[in-house]
Amino acid sequence: MPERGRVTVRAGQQDSGRVPAQAGRQARGRVPAQAGRQDRGERVAELLEAARAGSDEALGAIVAEHSPLLWHVARAAGLSSGDAEDVLQTVWLRLLAHLDDIRTSAALTGWLVVTARREAWRVRAAGRRQVPAEGEALDTLPDQGAGPQEQVLIDDQRRTLWVAIAQLSARCQELLRIVAFVPRPDYSAVAAELGMPVGSVGPTRGRCLAKLRVLLGMDPEGSLI
Amino acid sequence: MTSSSGAPLDDLDFGLLDRVREIYQAVDPMPEDLPERICFLLALRDLEVQVARLGAGQDLLVSARGTEQSRTITFESDSLTIMIRIDVNRDGTVRVDGWLAPAQCVGVELKTSASADALSASSDEQGRFAFARVPRGTAQLVARPEGQGRSVVTPALVL
Repeated sequence: MPERGRVTVRAGQQDSGRVPAQAGRQARGRVPAQAGRQDRGERVAELLEAARAGSDEALGAIVAEHSPLLWHVARAAGLSSGDAEDVLQTVWLRLLAHLDDIRTSAALTGWLVVTARREAWRVRAAGRRQVPAEGEALDTLPDQGAGPQEQVLIDDQRRTLWVAIAQLSARCQELLRIVAFVPRPDYSAVAAELGMPVGSVGPTRGRCLAKLRVLLGMDPEGSLI
Repeated sequence: MTSSSGAPLDDLDFGLLDRVREIYQAVDPMPEDLPERICFLLALRDLEVQVARLGAGQDLLVSARGTEQSRTITFESDSLTIMIRIDVNRDGTVRVDGWLAPAQCVGVELKTSASADALSASSDEQGRFAFARVPRGTAQLVARPEGQGRSVVTPALVL
């Protein structure tokens, strides 16, 4: 259920925020096997450093972790699967030339999203093998008739969400699709590029998410929350 | 417009974004093998490399299960067109015959997932080259023109 996932993620963020830096360093030095619990930003920074030093393995880990985000950036721009694959190849090749300049997770995510988006626009403008982004995905939703009750319930939730997303503007659909794949600590790094509003303490909900909440009945329309 | 749009992101927003991510993962997943193919490309560590495009209407994975005996694939880049024919040998390996257009003598390498060392060949004046026995698996062709021409690499294909 979504609630459970949310709680887990929050707990993780709070943990990493509370652990004093020194304790964190010691723990990492002693127990490398606990890399999975390591703060994501530090882990990505270490991967970047190893990739700079020539590690194909580290580069591969970075590619594996961030490619889904780039896939959805390219597809959200309306590209065909083939063009989206080309965009990813181009972006990752270009990263090789920029590895020296990119040292943090936030910088990496920001650079990847900006570069993938520009490349996607360029390819779309070139007009090669373009397919409409709308109307192609709903058909591929899982069949509601099959499976156990819980599966059907999940599919119903999905369908409700999908219908709500479809009522958003194309611009909001693109924005939310991209943001959904951005690691949370890196939101600020991509906010400006995506036109995502940033308040004094970080990114704010913005019109797209607010509209989606209203469509899903989470906020009564026009209420002062 | 709702008045809540200026509020900081809350748990409801994060939960909603999680569900948005799940739904796009479900309806339009990234091809599972794409990161692997990209890593193959990056391992060349060649910033100037040109990636050839698959000719229109072709599928790199067709006959990945070995149902066809022979297939032909065309790759196109700005400077070079590469056509290859793949035949399955009796011993389970494959034979790759290739033609370059415009015809030219270049070094051709075939990187395969089965071996760390690339197979090497050279094209003749007609632009023909061949690899007689290639292990099945993921493979990628690299044409390296001598002198100042840029290397051309095909997308990784499954032999």
